[in-house]
Amino acid sequence: MKTLLTGLCLAALGLSSAFAEVRTWTDVQGRQVSATFVNIEGEDIVLQTADGQTHRFALTRLSAEDQAFAKAQKPAPATADAVPDAALSGFTYAKSAAGQTALGLDKLVAAGIIKHANPARAKEGLPPIKGFNAVMNDEQFVRRVYLDVIGRIPSYDETLAFFQNKAPDKRAKLIDQLLDSEGYNSHMFNYFAEMLRVKHRLDQANVRADDYVNWLKEQISKNRPWNEMVSDMLTAEGKMWHNGAAGYLLRDAGMQLDNLANTLTVFLGTDVACAQCHDHPFADWTQKQFYELASFFGATSTTYRRGGGGMMGGNADLMDQVYAMAEKGGADLRRIRNGLNNFVGANRYNIADTDKNMTVLPHDYKYKDGKPGDEVAPKFVMWSPQDKSNPAYKQNKKSEEKLRQSFAAWLTHPENPRFAMTIANRLWKRAFGVGVAEPVTNIDDPEKASNPELLKALAQVMKSVKFDMKEFQRVIFNTHAYQSEACTEEIPMGAPYYFQGPQLRRMTAEQAWDSYMTLVLGQPEEYKAPLSDLYGKSIDLDLTNPKLDAMTVLMKYSAFQKIEKKVAALTGGGLDMAGGDMMMSGGDDKPSAADTAAASVGANGKQVLSYGGNRLLRASELPQPERGGHFLAEFGQSPRTLIDGGSRVGNVPQVLAMMNGGAQQMLTERSSLIFRAIDAAKDPAAKVDTVFLAIMNRLPTLQEKDIAKREITAHGDEGYASMIWALINTREFIFVQ
Amino acid sequence: MNMNLNKLDPLSRRNFMEKVAKTALGVTLLPVGSRAVQAAAGNGPGFGKAKHVIYLFMEGGMTHIDTFDPKTGSTKGAKDPIKAKSGSGNLDYLGGYLPKLAEIGNKIAIVRSMSSKTGVHESGRYIMRTGYEPRGTIVHPSLGAWGSHFLGRIKDVVLPDSVTVGGGRHPGAGFFPPALSPIPITSAEAGLQNIRPTTTEDNFQKRVALMDEFDSAFRKKFNANTDVKAYTEFYSETMKLLKSEDLKAFDISQEPASVREKYGAGGFGSGCLLARRLVEHGVRFVEVQLGGWDMHNTIDTAMTNNGETLDTAFSALIEDLESKGLLESTLICLGSEFGRTPDVNQNDGRDHYPLAYSTVFAGAGTKGGYVYGSTDKDGRRPADKQASPQDFVSTIGHAMGLPIDEVVMSPSNRPFTVGDKGTAITDLFA
Repeated sequence: MKTLLTGLCLAALGLSSAFAEVRTWTDVQGRQVSATFVNIEGEDIVLQTADGQTHRFALTRLSAEDQAFAKAQKPAPATADAVPDAALSGFTYAKSAAGQTALGLDKLVAAGIIKHANPARAKEGLPPIKGFNAVMNDEQFVRRVYLDVIGRIPSYDETLAFFQNKAPDKRAKLIDQLLDSEGYNSHMFNYFAEMLRVKHRLDQANVRADDYVNWLKEQISKNRPWNEMVSDMLTAEGKMWHNGAAGYLLRDAGMQLDNLANTLTVFLGTDVACAQCHDHPFADWTQKQFYELASFFGATSTTYRRGGGGMMGGNADLMDQVYAMAEKGGADLRRIRNGLNNFVGANRYNIADTDKNMTVLPHDYKYKDGKPGDEVAPKFVMWSPQDKSNPAYKQNKKSEEKLRQSFAAWLTHPENPRFAMTIANRLWKRAFGVGVAEPVTNIDDPEKASNPELLKALAQVMKSVKFDMKEFQRVIFNTHAYQSEACTEEIPMGAPYYFQGPQLRRMTAEQAWDSYMTLVLGQPEEYKAPLSDLYGKSIDLDLTNPKLDAMTVLMKYSAFQKIEKKVAALTGGGLDMAGGDMMMSGGDDKPSAADTAAASVGANGKQVLSYGGNRLLRASELPQPERGGHFLAEFGQSPRTLIDGGSRVGNVPQVLAMMNGGAQQMLTERSSLIFRAIDAAKDPAAKVDTVFLAIMNRLPTLQEKDIAKREITAHGDEGYASMIWALINTREFIFVQ
Repeated sequence: MNMNLNKLDPLSRRNFMEKVAKTALGVTLLPVGSRAVQAAAGNGPGFGKAKHVIYLFMEGGMTHIDTFDPKTGSTKGAKDPIKAKSGSGNLDYLGGYLPKLAEIGNKIAIVRSMSSKTGVHESGRYIMRTGYEPRGTIVHPSLGAWGSHFLGRIKDVVLPDSVTVGGGRHPGAGFFPPALSPIPITSAEAGLQNIRPTTTEDNFQKRVALMDEFDSAFRKKFNANTDVKAYTEFYSETMKLLKSEDLKAFDISQEPASVREKYGAGGFGSGCLLARRLVEHGVRFVEVQLGGWDMHNTIDTAMTNNGETLDTAFSALIEDLESKGLLESTLICLGSEFGRTPDVNQNDGRDHYPLAYSTVFAGAGTKGGYVYGSTDKDGRRPADKQASPQDFVSTIGHAMGLPIDEVVMSPSNRPFTVGDKGTAITDLFA
């Protein structure tokens, strides 16, 4: 670390010594001050007085002569250049493109510490940050990188394999290996599902979004570039079971304005929700602009409209005929009506574009630039005057049917002023615990980020890897900044952060659950939820077909129900989750033994295990989101109503789950995987090592060995169970260093 | 908001400093009979009458026109309003989906002139729980935490001061120590889970001691981290709770089937019943959530379900508390993120509408069959006595006996009050 410190100090000196000429400055009122010139930043000048304090004020407050002098000064060199490579030594970069890019980012982080962090800290009387935190050791590295890349702790075997590997490039190799593993897909799905509020059962509609979930998983496992994924979601047509990407708009069917507000927030880091109802109180957003953006979706419908009293386009009396036929067949209409309506109703959710744009200003519009009911033409919003010449804005808006394509092309364009920056800032936050610009849902002015140069560089990297999510994260995980120890200093809420290392974070609900699954199953990715595609295969009805008749509807409904029963048998929640009136006619309400058996064989043929009523699968394979009372819900899994809605706050029920819950019981049972590993170890010392390696991914310290020895001497095997219990319950376990 | 510390008189400034010290040290349990309670006499009708509060929170934004502010003109919903019993009050009609509440209309008070600035779910939830708009730099305390801060725990009660029933993010303790956070119960049927240790009591204690030993290096390294410290506090809190007899309050299966039936099946009915049990056992503040109000599509169908759920559980709760003699000391209040558009949209639903909505109160000395404020004939704007989310939160704080004008400094040294300087609607109290 010594070289780094020296390097940073030199760089700091370099910045100021180049302009160290003290001169007397006069302002427009004739007042004078002795100071050195530091920089011109936008409209402001920054001066430094002899006491080391920097002062920032409007350039126009200076006399004309001083203004001219200041303008003649060379601006401070790009700060990245001010950090000599020596500043970043003490860390071995991966010999790959990603390693080289990581080095470039580290220079910007180091420069940001000098330029932004330490002057601000000096003002608050805090000691300067002296560089990156110490590079983390292999024990810290293996645990953190598994949790951050694939969302769970490494298993005992994986931990050992990494420690025993003596290759100098083993860290970069492990990052590569994890990015290409199944676990990456699972962890990435959890992130996007939380961000996009993905649910199996949609709030409003009696339609399941299984095929949207499946689509999202497929894109992640194919590593589809982010711009293509987003474009697909914004432009999808049809029903979810024909095109899973349609789930994005159907998630908010009937809530077009909310959906748009979410789109801007999630993909462009621009929070304009206020502008739905009135001009944005803080930013330069008007309600009119919001409606101009909404107009791109004005010709799009998310449900078949009900025609005059009948069904959509097809047979107008269809439902009455269906009811009549069902009753004739001896069914109790009161029991089945809801189920039938839901079955048919699910098929109303369909995205289509028309040739008529319906966007008008709302009835309570109160600004001077329009009247309630005025038609609104589509228009892209700009963040700065330069955007006029930005290629992202060159979109054809003529054809009403193609409006969404224009919108998607603009939004996902590499040169869109916010698109690349937003996802880059988000993924940075995912690795470090805090974004360069906060909140990530509202970047607002990039110049106000804790390190604007870094933010812009991240956007640039995102563009240069062509929105390849894996490649971008490969860069981040290979930075010195990321591979430094977590900060021990408490960062107050809302205070800027400068990335001398990641922040300490509690595991997400999914990381905690998936880590338990690792302790129980070893390789939890080997277990897959079965039958996830059945819903989409059985629900489809073509409501626009005039020939669709009652008999077809009833037969299809009957087949659909049989499949629902099968699905219900495996979702663990029982029939209650599939709606109140499952059955066409009375009879058995229980899934058959055959259904239950079929339901427990995973997609890859591996038997799905369960314990205490919970299926032992990774969170991404379970219902989205899990039910109240489930471990995931207690630990703060997002209910998927709000963007990034998960919580990492502790509470009593969580502690109870850790102390007495099923997950903990599984581990302390004699037949558990970890106990089997203990049994396999040759002597008590090796057994203790095994417990620590499996749970904490590190060897015990000398002191811990003594404590362990005391436990085992006093209690024998029960001592191991107590150790497992105790370690699972430590703060060290649930927090990611 | 930008109150200057120097502008305050010396007494207020001293109060600030005491509060800062208290917050910083985590010392929050004032003795019973503290200053706030003694001041009760001079604070107008209803002050301190609510020893307990049950807050029914309508997630998604409850339609006012189809529930507590029914209209008969062009914005009328699918169901006709029904005449409500009013006793000596001025209550006229309720939405047609609420027949049971109409029967006991003489036991509720409605504020029909609510108006807010935010039509966004997250902000609406936040402001109706804290009185403040959400900010990126601070989390404001919810009402339960304010109660614990000013009043301390109710004497001889081991259960936590506040509990939420339902899921989702909650401001909880805000900037107060995490120990003042409500205990979240995600499923009322399941109650508080995992309360039985899986080993002997003796062994359990030993394991806890072992945990502390193994964890000491980590806790020392991150001793400045408040999240880590908070977890350690939750562990001590949990240990205390596990020893308590009152744990059974969380178990609604101990209620007779006839009682459970009255509240109605489903999460909200069970939640209201759980709330009553908790209040009986001394919990001060219970929030019960009812979702499903975001009725952008086919509102008639949606209201048939949610209306019945609300009608059944809310009316059962009032009657049950009354029969147990707890209604006098318990305030039930019903709040919503916002209202819904008076005009029905093309999908037969109603959209978000903050400009006019309703809240409801019952118990703790509130007037019966009473309506405060009104909206215009179509339910678009308050016609008189406009009330804000700040007023709503302040009203509850007032009923709880909290000094709603007293400024409390956050650890970041910013000044805050219960309900952000709203005005308590004392007219609601008899």
